Amino acid sequence: MRHDRLVLTLLWRELLAGLRSMRRRDLAWIVAGGGALLAYAIADIVVALQAGAATLRQVQPLWTFGLPGTLFGLGGFAGNALARLCLSRAFAPFLRALPLSLRERRRMAAVAACTLGVPIASIVATAVGLGCVVIVKPLAPVWGLGAAILFGAGFCVAAVLRLRSARDLVHPDTADLAGDPVGRTPWLGAFDRSTPAWLSSWAWGLPAGRITLSWRLVGAAILFGFAAVVAAFISLVRQDAVPAAMAGLTGGLMVFMLSVRFHPLGSPVLRTAPLGFARAWLRLARLPLQLSVAYFLLPAGAALAAEPSAWAMPLASGFWLLALNGAYAVFAAYFMTAPFVAALSFLSAIAYTSYESLEYGRTVLIGFAALVLFLWHRAQRRYRHG
Amino acid sequence: MDSSVDPAEILAVRGLSAGYGGRAVVSGIDLSLDRGDILGLLGANGSGKSTLLRAITGQIRPLWGEVAIDGVDLAGALERAKSGFGLAIDPSDLPVALTGRQYLQLVASIRGCAESDWPGVNVAERLGLKRWIDRLIAEYSLGTRAKIAIAAALLGAPPLLILDESLNGLDPLAAFEVKRIILALASSGRHAVIISTHVVEAVPGLCNRAVLLAEGSIAQEWDARQLADASHAPGAFELHVMKALSEPMSWQRR
Repeated sequence: MRHDRLVLTLLWRELLAGLRSMRRRDLAWIVAGGGALLAYAIADIVVALQAGAATLRQVQPLWTFGLPGTLFGLGGFAGNALARLCLSRAFAPFLRALPLSLRERRRMAAVAACTLGVPIASIVATAVGLGCVVIVKPLAPVWGLGAAILFGAGFCVAAVLRLRSARDLVHPDTADLAGDPVGRTPWLGAFDRSTPAWLSSWAWGLPAGRITLSWRLVGAAILFGFAAVVAAFISLVRQDAVPAAMAGLTGGLMVFMLSVRFHPLGSPVLRTAPLGFARAWLRLARLPLQLSVAYFLLPAGAALAAEPSAWAMPLASGFWLLALNGAYAVFAAYFMTAPFVAALSFLSAIAYTSYESLEYGRTVLIGFAALVLFLWHRAQRRYRHG
Repeated sequence: MDSSVDPAEILAVRGLSAGYGGRAVVSGIDLSLDRGDILGLLGANGSGKSTLLRAITGQIRPLWGEVAIDGVDLAGALERAKSGFGLAIDPSDLPVALTGRQYLQLVASIRGCAESDWPGVNVAERLGLKRWIDRLIAEYSLGTRAKIAIAAALLGAPPLLILDESLNGLDPLAAFEVKRIILALASSGRHAVIISTHVVEAVPGLCNRAVLLAEGSIAQEWDARQLADASHAPGAFELHVMKALSEPMSWQRR
């Protein structure tokens, strides 16, 4: 079909336009800095693999379940994300008026997702194959090929499910928002009145500040509530503060990451207003932070009740929660319109910092703090000057 | 405020160059606006009108030159300078999840004024926004969005009002009301207005100054007298502007 490559062409043009809009100096920094970081990471991984080669070769569960499961899951994750990206372009506003059927749009998205998926699968296959070569695992090319097949399987399953579930996005547009709010009291009104008023409702896309219950929201609330109760129960039964304190920390961070949104920072509404970056940033982080702390309090209270002598643990968890929430808020402000990329970058940075701190100690945290400060500076500059 | 600054001068742009990715879209712009001025900003698509307004409103960093609003240097005191103007946001940039009233409350809370603190008139009433004010902006038509954007720009009575093609899409009655509000603001002697527009015929009747941008530079300027001269007959000013636009680079040879 003649439209099949349309989504792919759109994505390619967007990439080129994005690259062209960047200053050459910034581009050089990204290429040189990113390249150097990647080279260092590869060297570090090779050294770590060589050091643990004998052990890695012997761990049967890793080769039987761990690696295949991870590859399949990774493929599913990539397939879902790419299919979503391609669908968003297939249903782009400027394409809505064109006589393209739902089937044609799905096909355009599928062609683009597959075309992008093939090089990613090749990279995964090469990485696994080379990893096997480094640890002297027999049949390294076969493992590479198997990795590509498993990744591809996960990719295809997730992409097909996502593409099949695509509704006709051409006709219903703002139907979710278009309910008549006249006469109803906005639910969030009491919490969203401080300057600038209604900023959280805007950030969360709540129509007129009203929270509309959805299965996703209810499911998440049940899941988080269940996790908090189970962790508190375990701590109380074992009289051990650790499970509840850890649940409070990780759950609180997840609540914050899932709820914080900074896209209004990119809007001319705020950028042309006499409102500083720090004030807008703090205001946008305020309600998610309150939610995060509210979630933290139940398991932290249980941890304190379970082991009163270990009061320092929930206290330290609370401080860590504030520090991590603050760091994530900086990542999310930098990637203001892409919360998924923000979360992925933040978790990768945390994982890499944790890994390096095993080798070099806590001084690595200085590097993480420097990264956070750099992102803060860039986000502030972008808010001020585009 | 700098003591050398003319208290009547609301906007001072000197040697301004601005653009994207290090490339200048507008360059060498010198512009001064006093209280009571209504400046019509004209130019073809891509001539740099919106880029110039983005640089003036601090949305992009100037590559060169200075911008001062009501005596406050934009580069030195960004937030203080921003309190000196009200910009009618592009309708596509409005927060669609909020109602019109909530949007006004948001802007008013930032400007530290009441949600109905307009200069002299009830803008929502005059623009026929009352029956829309409690509905979501997502439900608004282009014209209604332009109205709420203008109403928000006027909140707190900022000394400089900037309308970037905001008159487009307004119904005749609303356009008439906006023009009346603009004229009233200017005649009060406390405000100045910049109107970027493609509606050339509206400029002589509304503005006392006009500037034509071409290829990123000021190609031609008209003061009040020249505007009156240029519009001595119906369509004469349009003809003047069209001639300037259809002769690329002719202004540079002059």
